[in-house]
Amino acid sequence: MSEVDPVGTADAVDGPGAVVEVRTSASAALIPTIRAVASDLAARADFDLDAISDLRMAVDEACATLVDVASPGSGLRCAFRVHGGVIEVEAQVETSGPDSTVSTDTFGWRVLQTLADEVELSGTDGRTVGIRLNKRAADPAHR
Amino acid sequence: MSTSHEPTRPGALGTRIERLASGVLVLWVDGEIDTLTAPTLGTALGSLLDTPGDGPVAVDLSEVGFLASSGLAVLIRAAHRAESQGRALHLVGGGRAVVRPLQVTGSDRLFTLHEDLSTVTVAPRPGESSPRAD
Repeated sequence: MSEVDPVGTADAVDGPGAVVEVRTSASAALIPTIRAVASDLAARADFDLDAISDLRMAVDEACATLVDVASPGSGLRCAFRVHGGVIEVEAQVETSGPDSTVSTDTFGWRVLQTLADEVELSGTDGRTVGIRLNKRAADPAHR
Repeated sequence: MSTSHEPTRPGALGTRIERLASGVLVLWVDGEIDTLTAPTLGTALGSLLDTPGDGPVAVDLSEVGFLASSGLAVLIRAAHRAESQGRALHLVGGGRAVVRPLQVTGSDRLFTLHEDLSTVTVAPRPGESSPRAD
């Protein structure tokens, strides 16, 4: 009998290059599903409770911001990469044109900057817009 | 006196306003507060602050499992409106899902936070018995 590496263990989500990608319609009604995935991945990667809460809120914020500028009927892609106690998130939507941009001069963006360890806009080529962020398992200052 | 909006599907927000025997006016909120449901919270907070009276107003968040920035923004606007009416907006209950967003954004300073409703009391304030005009 061959040895099978069980899926769903801490190793499976904390191994090098563990990637989970969620694709939905770009609709605010589906963001609860994406933030539930974020919570689940953070819990499995041994994030502390505050960090789980922060990541869940940051992912929600990023997706809500992007859904706002997505072209009608398009999709939202949210990819999570878990490695070495860090979760990297890249969320992306298709936009209807170069005028559909994400404003970083908002309360929501300031909250996002506070919640994530790093956050930046990505893929601003006029056809897609994305938000990249990452979050560590715990604030090193509190370890 | 009671007005309510029950959640009709998962992801919807339930709200209910009631005046306690103590005179405290309470808005109960049940569900997840995000970009989709924040307008429902805004409407309920509007009704809460439209209710005449100068006693304390409280929002019970014990049954809230998520609070996004869109919800925080609505709560902050309500706190400012309550302040302009000369009354304080008390937030009650709320686990990590509520307290953490308030703390990381520093907006916990805008509210009086309580573990439960028993500590929200009607304190007589001489000279401030009627709402200030603004």
